[in-house]
Amino acid sequence: MVDPIEFFGNHTFRMVFFGTTVIGLVAGALGSFAYLRKQSLISDVIAHSALPGALLAFLTAVVVLGVSGRNMLGLIVGAVTTGTLAALFANSIAARTKIRIDTAMAISLTVFFGAGMIVLRIIANGPFPGKGGIEDYLFGNASVITIADLATSTAVGALALILMLVFWKEFTLRTFDPVHSTVLGFRASVIDTLMFTTIVIAIVIGVQAVGVVLMIAVVVTPPAAARQWTSTLPGMVALSGAFGAIGSGVGAYLSIAVGNIPTGPVIVLTLFVIFLVSLLASPRRSVITTTLRRARARESLRRELLTETTDR
Amino acid sequence: MSTGPIACQTRNLSVAYRADPVLRRVHFSVPVGSVMGIIGPNGAGKSTLIKAMLGLVTPLTGTSEFFGQPLDQVRRRIGYMSQSTSVDWDFPTTVIDLVTMGTYGELGWIRRPGKAERARAMASLEQTGIPELASWQIGELSGGQRQRAFLARTLVQAPDLYFMDEPFQGIDAKSQQAMVDVLKDLRAQGKTIVIVHHHLATVRDYCDHVTLLNGSVVASGPADTAFTKENIRTAYKAREGAEAFLETAV
Amino acid sequence: MSFILGTSLLAVVTALACALPGAFVVLRRNSMLVEGIAHAVLPGIVVGYAFTLDLNSPWLIVGAALAGLLVVLCNEWLIRTGLLTGDAPQGLVFPALFAAGIILITLDFNHVHLHTHVVLVGDLNLAAFHQLVVNGVSIGPRYLYVMLAVLIVNVAFIAIFYPKLKVTTFDDQFAMVLGMRTKLLNTAFMFLVSVTVVAAFHAAGALLVISLVVVPAATAHLISQRLSVMLVLTALFAVVGALAGFWIAYVLNAATSAGMAVFYGFMFVAVAFIDKLAIRVRRYRRAEAASAGRPAGNLGIEGLLAKPRYAFAAQRRQEESGRRDGSAPAADTQAAE
Repeated sequence: MVDPIEFFGNHTFRMVFFGTTVIGLVAGALGSFAYLRKQSLISDVIAHSALPGALLAFLTAVVVLGVSGRNMLGLIVGAVTTGTLAALFANSIAARTKIRIDTAMAISLTVFFGAGMIVLRIIANGPFPGKGGIEDYLFGNASVITIADLATSTAVGALALILMLVFWKEFTLRTFDPVHSTVLGFRASVIDTLMFTTIVIAIVIGVQAVGVVLMIAVVVTPPAAARQWTSTLPGMVALSGAFGAIGSGVGAYLSIAVGNIPTGPVIVLTLFVIFLVSLLASPRRSVITTTLRRARARESLRRELLTETTDR
Repeated sequence: MSTGPIACQTRNLSVAYRADPVLRRVHFSVPVGSVMGIIGPNGAGKSTLIKAMLGLVTPLTGTSEFFGQPLDQVRRRIGYMSQSTSVDWDFPTTVIDLVTMGTYGELGWIRRPGKAERARAMASLEQTGIPELASWQIGELSGGQRQRAFLARTLVQAPDLYFMDEPFQGIDAKSQQAMVDVLKDLRAQGKTIVIVHHHLATVRDYCDHVTLLNGSVVASGPADTAFTKENIRTAYKAREGAEAFLETAV
Repeated sequence: MSFILGTSLLAVVTALACALPGAFVVLRRNSMLVEGIAHAVLPGIVVGYAFTLDLNSPWLIVGAALAGLLVVLCNEWLIRTGLLTGDAPQGLVFPALFAAGIILITLDFNHVHLHTHVVLVGDLNLAAFHQLVVNGVSIGPRYLYVMLAVLIVNVAFIAIFYPKLKVTTFDDQFAMVLGMRTKLLNTAFMFLVSVTVVAAFHAAGALLVISLVVVPAATAHLISQRLSVMLVLTALFAVVGALAGFWIAYVLNAATSAGMAVFYGFMFVAVAFIDKLAIRVRRYRRAEAASAGRPAGNLGIEGLLAKPRYAFAAQRRQEESGRRDGSAPAADTQAAE
């Protein structure tokens, strides 16, 4: 067990902590838009489908370019490519055939992830330099993040956040009024693409630290928790980002401190605790008080409806 | 109110979505042999009313009775024609299969629909005028043909009491005429029909009894006494469609 | 029985056991719920394995299946609270359960030795390792008989409840008015799916079992006009995919489930593509027939394989999008009607 003083005294650990915090912040903030547009599950498809892209980027770097396979920028480019392809594939199945979106997502997810697992096995079986620990893409391993990785993912994540802030008005309009904001004209599809791209970026920068299997939780859980505390979009994006950051930071710390536990699952459990607390204890939307309040209101309504009849 | 035998009635029926009342203290009864139109503006709770009566929505208060008995005793005498938009028309089944589903309530654990059931289904399709579509995949049907197939599925049960939710929605003139003919037949046979309808101008063509609904019952009874200008105005408040209708008709 | 024959038979039986209930999963739009179930059963499997030391123990299978059912019930409950929006309820519970399972494994809980790779995609060869020997003669992998039992249970369930499954899947409310216990049937069915997923875990892992459940049925749905035909085609696609996937995995030295998932995907795309082509050809022929004054019915064998004309596709899409808007469990805005 690494104690906090030792942890934060170590330059690498400190960077890892802040790096994963940034990832959680970006994913949480942008996940709000996926949540409010009721498309949370597509992030599961994108995350799983990032695997073949990340691995192909590794192979390309090693075999074709002859450089180190562990390049964060290459990973991001590869993962964004296959993640986007998978999401488009799912949407195109739902649009062109009688297969519904839930099944379309399942098909796309398994094809891309299955392909990823085959590539993973090819890499594992082959003589590729630097392939050790490549399986960490599955469940994440924050402790192997280098300063250079960190700089890249932070820069890319910041870019996504800046895009969100620059197009804040358009994002808001699209999120709350997808029908009427078509007055934006052709720009509606541009905004959709932009919003989608930022979400994909938010997902793939987490691949190294959280892993492709559980990244969905970092995108879905923080906004679901944040929604219980706030009703405004700025409040939700800020709080969701904060939850994502706390969950990821604490998760990364615990996984390194305890040692030998993949980072992703710890982050997911931390976030789930935040969600449970939000669901139970938020002042206005606590599941307990809401249920009680609703039951009481129904009961008084029932009594009112019954008593008035006897008067008749 | 009519004094003949009662096909179905509700007493003090209320439905709430969470804590918001949708229907308040609905009392109404449908005489045997009548065609009762449930009329009201959007959100008046028309569909909710028949869903609550049929146990698809749990009522907050009140009870419903059919031929003097609770629903479970008389299910076989009741037919329900749901809204055709409530199902997935890409479901892999043919029109004749769809109609045969109406007989599934009578089948026990072991029995499967056989020749007899399919023959009855075919007869129902003939009644609604679309026997030639029997082997079509249901997704191929037009809006009106879908409604006719749904009506046939209800007819095959040979119930005494029909509940129809917006049967004339999105329907072409030909299908409409075919369905009106069926309704007339049923009425001639002494069947009872409860029909959710929202097109004011045609109410008189189909219904001899009317229940005007807007969260609660505004008026209920024979069309002549219940379907009056004043009652319609109360039910619809100042809705444009109703105003236009009131200008020209009644 | 030779090892390769036993193992490929195991692949086929597993694929069939998963794919048949999958037909109803696809039609009921529960595909992503299976994703949740498949992840959620992991902690149940780990804890069960620690006590039974046997992935095929019936106690483990039923116990872990209850964890899968938990996801289904939690999802329904979270939707009912109205505090969450869209499909988020489906994505909240299963990652946490799965994460708990992974942590249990890495902490070496009760000395459970499950490699994470096996957890994700299974290992058919390992699963087929233990042979069942009767009178000194090997009659194939022991696990083959476990999956065979699951397959028989699934077939029996579908056969017994076929009319009820059909009508509740197509029109739940109509079935309720007929007096069917639709909720009970749904819960029983999802439990069976959960049992199947747990049983197939050894062969397909937590992540790719969803492919075995969903994709053959989705492929069959593309070209089926009747439910019975869809079930037969689902079985056919499952068998073909299992054998081809087994072969791909064998050649590439990869996990069988990964080979199957990829092949299933190609099969789906190929069938979708051929289907579109066939529609175009038929539409052209029909136009010709119409101009020649011949009737353009689709009865008989051609009707069995014929495709919807999509003449009303636009209208239908419109209706559906309206319906979806109305029926989506929009937590904050849903109206009663």
